Amino acid sequence: MSLLIAAFGFGLVSMSVIALAAVGFTMQFGITNMINLAYGEVMITSAFFAYYLNQAHLSIWIAMLGGAAFGAVFSFLINRFVYAPFQRRGTVLIYMVIVSLAVSLMIANVMLPIVGYFSVSYRERFSLLLHLGSIALTINQIAIIALAVAVMLAVHALLRYTRLGKAMRATAANPMLARNCGIPTQRVIDLVWLITGALCGFAGVVAALDSDSFTIASGAGFLITALAAAVLGGAGQPYGAMIGAVIIGLVTELSAAVWSPDYKQVVAFVILVLVMVLRPQGLLARRGALAAAG
Amino acid sequence: MNSYYLVNLLIFAGVDIIACLALNLQFGVSGVVNFSFIIFQAAGAYAAAILSMPPDTAPDFSFQTYVGGYQLAFPLPWIGGALAGALLAVPVGLVALRKLRSDYQAIALLVTSIIANTVINNARPLLNGAAGVANVPQPLSDQLNVSIQTYQFLYVGVTAICVAIVWFLAARIVNSPYGRTLRAMRENETAVAALGKNPTALKMTIFIVGGAIAGLSGAILVGFLQVWAPSTWLYPETIILFAAVIVGGRGNNVGAILGALLVPLGFEEVTRLLGRMNIGPPTLIPALEWVCIGLLILGFLWFRPKGVVPEQRRVFPGAPAVEEETRWVVGKGAR
Repeated sequence: MSLLIAAFGFGLVSMSVIALAAVGFTMQFGITNMINLAYGEVMITSAFFAYYLNQAHLSIWIAMLGGAAFGAVFSFLINRFVYAPFQRRGTVLIYMVIVSLAVSLMIANVMLPIVGYFSVSYRERFSLLLHLGSIALTINQIAIIALAVAVMLAVHALLRYTRLGKAMRATAANPMLARNCGIPTQRVIDLVWLITGALCGFAGVVAALDSDSFTIASGAGFLITALAAAVLGGAGQPYGAMIGAVIIGLVTELSAAVWSPDYKQVVAFVILVLVMVLRPQGLLARRGALAAAG
Repeated sequence: MNSYYLVNLLIFAGVDIIACLALNLQFGVSGVVNFSFIIFQAAGAYAAAILSMPPDTAPDFSFQTYVGGYQLAFPLPWIGGALAGALLAVPVGLVALRKLRSDYQAIALLVTSIIANTVINNARPLLNGAAGVANVPQPLSDQLNVSIQTYQFLYVGVTAICVAIVWFLAARIVNSPYGRTLRAMRENETAVAALGKNPTALKMTIFIVGGAIAGLSGAILVGFLQVWAPSTWLYPETIILFAAVIVGGRGNNVGAILGALLVPLGFEEVTRLLGRMNIGPPTLIPALEWVCIGLLILGFLWFRPKGVVPEQRRVFPGAPAVEEETRWVVGKGAR
């Protein structure tokens, strides 16, 4: 029993990491209609950017902000110079997926000679262990949970209570109509790429910190869990992604405790398959947060 | 040495052509974006391996663990490989192709490919895990009493026969009424459904046919290489084949063959030559190769989306002239 409670503690950390990654991914899809398969690679690239800052004697928490800024700029540039031109040409969705996969491949292999095959770790990877009953978490892990909660609340506030959030939701619901109503959809989409890119970079650093050591090859794994949470919640819906992250985080950690940690991704995949067979539209059936009210 | 190299090249060319023809049937002709293509090749290779190897208790094979080990005679492992590809296509297709939108299908298949690799990599008792199966007997090598060189050229010959059969089959499919329906589905799925065709069934059939052909390509490859491991079928391998079909001209068998010769084979050669020159660290050249594959995909989708050999327009005699721009434009179609 105490094993399960301990696993629950790790589940809290996992779901925080996954939620950070999945919300950005799903917002990109919901608002810009782009399944960005390069998301995992942008995550890991940002994590490496933060790693170099960290090596330059910056604290990981400051390096994390650097990673987020890097992710924002990088995602923005990818959209500006690759995705947006293809979308303007009217490339169908399915070819956009191929385009993003090609971009993903290119990022991974441009990075490979730069950062090497070897796995690296942040300097602050060890931190004090705190015990709360059977749950034992490090200060880092508790900080990750707190950060994730803060970011989720910020996303919620952004979408619900700001003009920009409203404009994003309008753009997601119907870009043409939004434009006709005087919303500068192009600028909104640029901002979306910056914001989701920042989330992506942030998530990358957090995921890398959480997994002790990481290599450039970790990007594909990051992508799969983010994808699974986003699809589970209903692609394009930030709140769905948060719910998806909670479920996937818990289930993968519990399965790791009772079965084997080697198959965490496989469990996430099984959830994904079940959702795709039983409820392909995801848990939140209607277009929720991103669609216009009513 | 040189003849071995030539043989190597020819076998890889044959296998790549077979794989590209199969992917072209799925992606080019039917519009099924099968990002998990490589797992069907892998299924065929593993099946052929365990069908031709003795059980893993045999003296020369006890350093590895795998299921099966049936020591079947020559054509059977290859047929088994094709069957394995087809069988694997059934569950994967049923999950991915039934309800999902086409872009969802693509990511579902991509994730399937990554996870299948993880599973085989970690589950050692099944197919020897990350180390993979080795010492796979070459078909008929103990019955045929010929020199290694002759045997290799025989292997090339058999591969060429397989290429010819697959090409013939693919041409038959493309030119049949069934192929026409597939193309119609690619262009407009709703319209095809409205005409009483079942798009899911159409996708499933071509998925299974493609899976079988991919399985055959894997069986040919493993019979020659004698080893097969998870590192040989990572998901980027599928992207190379996609690049080949896009470059060659999708929807077009000749294009697929040309693409197979240009992209996987051409790149292999160029990297090998560059690798000899010792430029930069050892990871640089292979990494740059992948970057080039990515650039090639982006470049062709941007500048020449129809590929080097565009698919021919099929016009019925007496049909009214249609403007070129209205068909097979990347920008066409609803999401």
